[in-house]
Amino acid sequence: MPRDDFAERVREAPRRRRFWDAILPALAIWPPLILSAGHVVVFTLWTAWLSFTPSTLLPEAGYVGWHNYTNVMGTRNFHVAYVNLVIFGVCFVVATSALGLLLAILLDQRVRGENVFRTIFLYPMAISFVVTGTIWSWLLNPGIGIQRLVQGWGWTGFRFDWLVDRDMAIYTLVIAGAWQAAGFAMALFLAGLRSVDGEIIKAAQIDGAGAWRIYRRVVLPTMGPIVLAVMVILLQMAIKTFDLVRALTGGGPGIATNMPATVVYDFMFQRGQIGRGAAAAMLMLLALVVVIVPYQLYQRWRGRSA
Amino acid sequence: MVDLSRRAVLAGSAAVAIPGVARAQAGKPRLTMITQWSAGSDGAAITALGKLFEQNGGIWQHSPVPGFTTDMMNKLRAEIMAGDPPAASQLKGPEIAAWSKIAPTVDLDGVVAAAGYEAFVAPELAALHKPYGHWIALPLQLYRINTLFASKKAMDKVGATKLPGTWAEFNDLAGKMKAAGIIPLANGGIRWDDGMKWEIALNGISPAAYRKAVMELDTDALMGPEVLAAFEQTRKLADWMNPSIAAQSWSVQVAPFIRGEMGMVLMGGWAQGNIINGGFTFADFLSGPAPQDNGRASYIMNADAFIFWQQKAADLQAGQQLFAKLIMQLPTQEMYSHITGSIPVRTDADLSGTGWSDAQRSSAQGLKDAVKEKQVVLSLAHNMAQPNPITAAMIDVLTEFVHNKDLQPKEAQQRLADAIDSAR
Repeated sequence: MPRDDFAERVREAPRRRRFWDAILPALAIWPPLILSAGHVVVFTLWTAWLSFTPSTLLPEAGYVGWHNYTNVMGTRNFHVAYVNLVIFGVCFVVATSALGLLLAILLDQRVRGENVFRTIFLYPMAISFVVTGTIWSWLLNPGIGIQRLVQGWGWTGFRFDWLVDRDMAIYTLVIAGAWQAAGFAMALFLAGLRSVDGEIIKAAQIDGAGAWRIYRRVVLPTMGPIVLAVMVILLQMAIKTFDLVRALTGGGPGIATNMPATVVYDFMFQRGQIGRGAAAAMLMLLALVVVIVPYQLYQRWRGRSA
Repeated sequence: MVDLSRRAVLAGSAAVAIPGVARAQAGKPRLTMITQWSAGSDGAAITALGKLFEQNGGIWQHSPVPGFTTDMMNKLRAEIMAGDPPAASQLKGPEIAAWSKIAPTVDLDGVVAAAGYEAFVAPELAALHKPYGHWIALPLQLYRINTLFASKKAMDKVGATKLPGTWAEFNDLAGKMKAAGIIPLANGGIRWDDGMKWEIALNGISPAAYRKAVMELDTDALMGPEVLAAFEQTRKLADWMNPSIAAQSWSVQVAPFIRGEMGMVLMGGWAQGNIINGGFTFADFLSGPAPQDNGRASYIMNADAFIFWQQKAADLQAGQQLFAKLIMQLPTQEMYSHITGSIPVRTDADLSGTGWSDAQRSSAQGLKDAVKEKQVVLSLAHNMAQPNPITAAMIDVLTEFVHNKDLQPKEAQQRLADAIDSAR
C-alpha cells in the first residue's frame, strides 16, 4: 500500500505544477485587464450619462436630451477646434511620418554610432508635451526666438511670426508635435526596415537595382502595415492633443488654436458646466472611434485573409 | 506651507470623527482652509493672516492649492463631493452664489451685524457676499482694475507730463508714442487680459452702460452705441499692443516698459507689485485711474473673498466665528493689503499713513469717490460680474476680437450678444 501511495504522489506533483502553470498566466493577465477595462467602460458610461444631464458644478440627475450636444456644437469654440483638428491631424501625421521615415532610412545605412543617433532622435519622446510646448514657445516667439536671432544676424527683413499669427499658429503646433513624435515614428519604421528579408534585397542587388530603387520597389511596399499602424497611432495622438496646446499657444491668439480636448477642459473645469463638457468629451470619443474602428476592422480582415 | 505635527493632525482628525471629543477640545477654535495662495506676496499675506489667527488663540490649518483658480476649485469640488468641505475657502464674485447651492454655508448675519460691518462695505460688493439675503462670505481685499501705468522714460521722450484723462487724450498720447518708435501698450497675451482691455474701455466710456450691458446683460445696452464704441476703442488698443506677445503674462515686459521701449500698461493695481518686485522704484513710472470720458471717478472692482462652509465640529464652528471677526477688522485688512499691494475692503480705511504707496492711495480715494458718484462696477474679466459660463463665453468673443483684425466692431458686438444668449 505505501508503494501505491508514493506512486500516487509522484504522479500528483507534476499535475499540480501543471495546474499552476496553467493558471498563473491567467492570474497575471486577467485581474489587471478586468480592472482597466472596467475603468474605461465604467467611466465612459458615466460620462455618457452625464452628457444627458443638466449637471453644472457637480454631477446631478435629470435628463435634458440632446440639449448639451446641440449647445456645444453651436459654439464657435467647437467649430474652431474641429477645423483645427482636421488641419493639425493631416499635417501632423504626414509631417511626422515623412520625417520619421527619412530618419529611419538614413539610420538604416549602417552608419557608425547608430545607437547614439537613435537615442538622440528618440529623446524628444522622453520629455512631456508641456516641456516641448514651452521650449518651442520660446523658439517661435518673434520677440525672443528664431526671428530675433536671424534678424540679429543682419537679415532684418526676416519674418517668422506664426506663433502670433491667427491663421498660422496652428502650424506651430504641427512643428512642435512633429519634432516630438518623429523619433517614435523613426523607431517603428526602422524596425520595419530591418525586418525585410535580406535575401530579397540581395536578389535585387544582384539584378542590378540601385539603393533608391531597392527602397522604392522592394522595401517600402512590404512595410505597408507598419506605415498604417504608425499613422493610426499618430492620428489618435493628434485627436487627444491637449498639453501641447496649453503650453505652446494657450489656445491663442484669441481662440485660434483650440482643439477638441481643450474645449472639453474649458467646459468642465473653467466654466463649471460638467454636462456640456461631458457632451464635448463624447464627441471627441466619436472622433477616435471613427479612426480606430475601421483600422481594427481592416486588421481583422487582413488577419483572416492572410 | 503650514507645518503640522503628526499629533496635531491626529488630534484634528479625531476631533472631526468624534463630536464628543471635539466638544471636549473646543477650547481651541480651529480653521481648515483652501486657497490658491502659496507663493510670493499672496503666500506671505495668507501666512501672516494665519499667524494672526494663531495669536488670537486659534489653530490654523491652511492647504494651499497652487496654480490656477480652477485647480483650487477642483479640490474644493472634490471635498464637497466627499462631504467634507473646509471651514472656509477662497471664492469670489457670483461664484459665491453658484457654489452656495451645492453645499450648505454658514449664516454670518449675526457676527456681521455685531461688528456693524455692512456700513463700511461698498453696496455692490456686499450684494455678492449675501447673494440670497444672508451673509455667507466675507471679502478680504480689493483691487482697482481700471488703473493706468505709464513709463516715465517713454513719457519724457514724447514730452508728456500728465496721465491722459479721457480716451481721446489717451489715443493722442499713444499715437505720439508710436510715432516716436515706442510700443504704446504693454499687454499680456492671455485671454483675460484681452477681456480686461475691453472692460476698461467700456467703463471709461460709460459706467452706466457697463452696469447695464455687462452686469445686467441688458440686450438693448449690449447692442447700444456705448458697447460699439468700446469695441472700436479696443481695436485701437489692439493696434498699439506688442505684436510679439504670445500666451505670456504682461509682466514679462516690465523691464522694457521701464526702459521706455513700451509706453503704458492698463492693468489692475497689482501691476505695481510686479514693477516694484522687478527691482524698479516709484520714480520709474506714473500711475492713476484709467481714462474716464465723463470725468467722474469710477471703479472697476476686483475683490478676493472667503466663503464659509457649514461644519458639525464645535471647534471648527468656533474657528469660523473667530476668523470672521478677525477679517472684518480694519487692522487685519490693512496688514493684508500692506503685503499684497491691494486696498482694504473697509471704506473707512485711512491710507495717509506710512506703508501705503501712492497707487494704493489713489485706488482707495478712487473707491470713495466712485461710491459717492455711484460709479462702482464689477470686473468681467476677473469673474466678478457674471458666473463662469457666461464670463467664459464673453471673453471668447473679446479675445478673438483683439487678435482678429478682420473682425469688425459691429459684427463682434452681435457675436457678444449671441454668445451670451447661448451660454444662458
